[in-house]
Amino acid sequence: MKKIMLVCSAGMSTSLLVTKMMKAATEKGIEIDIFACSESEAKQKYNDVDIILLGPQVRFLLSKIQKSVEGKNIPVAVIDSIDYGTMNGPVVLEKALKL
Amino acid sequence: MRKIDEVMNWLLSHTEQEHTAKEIADALQLDRTNASRYLNQLQLEGKIEKQNGRPVKYKVLKNSESSSTQPSLDKKFSLDFLIGAEKSLNVPIQQAKAAILYPPRGLHTLILGETGVGKSMFAELMYQFAKESGMVTSSAPFVRFNCADYAENPQLLTAQIFGVKKGAYTGAEKDREGLLSKANGGVIFLDEVHRLSHQGQEMLFTFIDKGYFRRLGDSEDKIISEVQIIAATTEEPESTLLKTFTRRIPMTILLPDLKERGLKDRYMLIQAFIKEESKRLSKSIYINKNALESFMLYECPSNIGQLKSDIQLACAKAFFNYKSQGKSYILIELSDLPQQVGRGHLRIKENRQELEKLIRYQDDIFKFHYDEDDTYLNDEDVNDSYFYEQIEHKLSKLRNDGLNEQEINQIMSMDIEKHFRRYIVDLSPKFRKDEIAKVVDVQIVEFTDRVLSEAARKLNKEFDEKIYYGFALHLNGSIERLRNGKKIYHPKLNLIRVNYPDEFLAAMEIAKSIDETFSVETPLDEIGYLAMFLASTPNELTGEKAANVAVLIIMHGNSTASSMAQVVNTLVGTTHCHALDMPLSMKPQSMVELAIEKVKEIHEGKGVILLVDMGSLVNFSELIYDDTGIPCKTLDSVSTPIALEACRRAVLGRELSDIHNACTELMGRSTATNQINDIRKRNLIITVCFTGEGASERLKDIISHKLELGASFEVVPMNILNRKDFAHSIVQYRQTHEILAIVGTVDIEEQGIPFISAVDILAGDGIDRLKKLVSHQDEYIKIGESLSEHIKSVDAKVLISYVRQFIVDSERMLKVSLPDDVKVGIALHLSFLVDHIKQGISHKDKGELEDYIAKNSREMALIKQQLKSIEHIFKIFFSQSDIAYLTKMILSNHQDTV
Repeated sequence: MKKIMLVCSAGMSTSLLVTKMMKAATEKGIEIDIFACSESEAKQKYNDVDIILLGPQVRFLLSKIQKSVEGKNIPVAVIDSIDYGTMNGPVVLEKALKL
Repeated sequence: MRKIDEVMNWLLSHTEQEHTAKEIADALQLDRTNASRYLNQLQLEGKIEKQNGRPVKYKVLKNSESSSTQPSLDKKFSLDFLIGAEKSLNVPIQQAKAAILYPPRGLHTLILGETGVGKSMFAELMYQFAKESGMVTSSAPFVRFNCADYAENPQLLTAQIFGVKKGAYTGAEKDREGLLSKANGGVIFLDEVHRLSHQGQEMLFTFIDKGYFRRLGDSEDKIISEVQIIAATTEEPESTLLKTFTRRIPMTILLPDLKERGLKDRYMLIQAFIKEESKRLSKSIYINKNALESFMLYECPSNIGQLKSDIQLACAKAFFNYKSQGKSYILIELSDLPQQVGRGHLRIKENRQELEKLIRYQDDIFKFHYDEDDTYLNDEDVNDSYFYEQIEHKLSKLRNDGLNEQEINQIMSMDIEKHFRRYIVDLSPKFRKDEIAKVVDVQIVEFTDRVLSEAARKLNKEFDEKIYYGFALHLNGSIERLRNGKKIYHPKLNLIRVNYPDEFLAAMEIAKSIDETFSVETPLDEIGYLAMFLASTPNELTGEKAANVAVLIIMHGNSTASSMAQVVNTLVGTTHCHALDMPLSMKPQSMVELAIEKVKEIHEGKGVILLVDMGSLVNFSELIYDDTGIPCKTLDSVSTPIALEACRRAVLGRELSDIHNACTELMGRSTATNQINDIRKRNLIITVCFTGEGASERLKDIISHKLELGASFEVVPMNILNRKDFAHSIVQYRQTHEILAIVGTVDIEEQGIPFISAVDILAGDGIDRLKKLVSHQDEYIKIGESLSEHIKSVDAKVLISYVRQFIVDSERMLKVSLPDDVKVGIALHLSFLVDHIKQGISHKDKGELEDYIAKNSREMALIKQQLKSIEHIFKIFFSQSDIAYLTKMILSNHQDTV
């Protein structure tokens, strides 16, 4: 089962997005584990997940995380701001799986 | 020092056993993963080896240690990290290295310099270098002794250094070893060596000449000690006393005093010392502009030592205020400075230009934190040997970016022109011949004189003084570079050869003389540069003076305005500030006419800032604009400091609105005229021309056609025949509409509304800019709608408007610029945060941002201030950690504006 990690500053806004993504996944019948965590919690989990998504407000972490998972085939991306702003679970999920 | 070098150095000085990454991380206060990374890197470079087993241990490879006994020129040693190592201390450092490396055991050295220039630190670094270069073992002793300590008792002093044989004098009850023996195999540092008695000096010289000495009271046993002596003194080099020393001690190193080292070094020292204090307090230290300038400029007779203690004093005072007055951050202000330091600010006038070139003034408050490598030094201000390095660096970067040679050449030639401008045009007029002799070798000055007059004769042209100075400066840099065996690269070489064949020929002859006189080999690329100097004509190079915003003071009274302008001009050192006096008998109408004439006269193409006192003068800018079409902005109730700031900024080339805002802020008035961008309002794009028909209608069609505007967007054409009516309708529209932009054929500056010119719409990036504005607004509308579904505790659409305003204001306060998508992210974060607080959902404080809070206390206080209106409207309170997260999001995402 694939694991997606969403990183944001204090888990304020991502938790809702996670719920919506999970809902979209269930409707499509995709088995997946999605969870949200803060910058500092994320550090210990880089290697346990398959995809890492960042809230746009923590864009500054992108290069740092990319470096620490280098060569491990774990895609890292910043969520599109419109998708994020409108809490568009299905689209975020779809784009993530294409990474 | 780079962290990786620190790791290597630590390993080199701890070779007795192997070490784990954790030990090294602890010793150097590094993150363990970072330490491992450095260790792996070093292992790959073949400098250390990895031992098998768990945990993995590392040790220095034997050959790495021995190979360093023949230090290559590339390797960096502790000495090379001294501030000013590339410039002001370059010669002393070269001498020091030579003294240490000289076979077999180094040369005895005498360090000269005023009190506080850093003689003992320099001596210690020489000892470090001896260890790093393998000239002494890593356990070699370093003995320091200050001859002034026993100056009252010459016998005791000599006894300390050379030792005593039992019975040598009353009280000498047993044999005692002297410091010279204790330092065997290492280095002895004798500070204030001129305090040594005559007898002591003789004994020291005997040791220097013969390599052995006798203890006091011992006439038989010669004691041999392998010691390198480093002596230091504050004596004038010319004094008789010193002559004896310089005759017997082979190497003399003169350390420059603080004044000679220039402002750049001084800034670096100040920065280093404040950071040191910041480390001690584990908090950021802020210093305001005036205080920093005072440290840069004050008379500091006891040099670096005094500078350091004065900085410590100021930091202590600021820390005391922070504690006792419950301030939210540590700020050094002018009033915290020791008196003589504060007086430094009186010298700002003569030095302003130089400081502004050197230091980046992005804010009136500077921040220093021990952990950050930031510096406020301008990149522009680099010395010339550094210039070549920049070229090289940029070249390899461009190549890495995959640009082709032609593109690279284009970019590089722009840089080269900049280099030239800096040398010739920007050379300040006070930089006269005697000034140049201070920075450039006399030999080079004379040489320049000779070859340029020769070239002038051949090319049949005269060389301007500026070219002369520029040439000498340039030569100084390039010869140094050639001597250091570094390359010189000129991307425009062929172009120059083709376009200026005569100059090129002359340059080749100069190159020949250079080679003969300075024993170097001038490469072809350098000849290209020389030819550029010869080909330049002063007029061509002076170019056009950059246009600045004009400054005009108009005030009531017979001479109020002109005397204020005079003060401002004198203090700023320009003639840029103009004045019109308005005697009380004069009618406003005649004053308007005078003002219009004056504005036309002084307008340089970037608008005029009007500084007025009161009454009808306040409305002049619109009248002038209507008549002349020259953009004007007015500041009323003006005072001398405001006028100073306006003029200073104008001379620096700032934009009209920037000057206006900065001064308004300085006057303590809020500039927040850009009201809350309310997404519930309709959105408006205004197109303007003089008549309100023709062009503005046409623009409307183009915009409606090219942009797919949603239902909430409108485009309205307007006329601008009467400036006042126009301003009035803007105010009215603002009540019900959000004005996204004004597009037009006439340049309109309306507070807080972006202006896009018709030309840009038709031929430039105007449509794209407009699209961006629209889509950004659209984005917020969508977000507002989506949030309304999820946030029920407050009206989400009102919330998002305030949140958006908060982000805009914070960007301005903290002087950062955020990418659009980051702003959306922050907006979401903050909206949900407000919702959570409102609903009483608590997030426990994980305490993970404590360091961050200590580091950014001022920025936190500013953000807190900006959050006040949200707290007020929604009746909530943000916690310290809420604010810390927000501050971090805003600061960390800062992008340098390209």
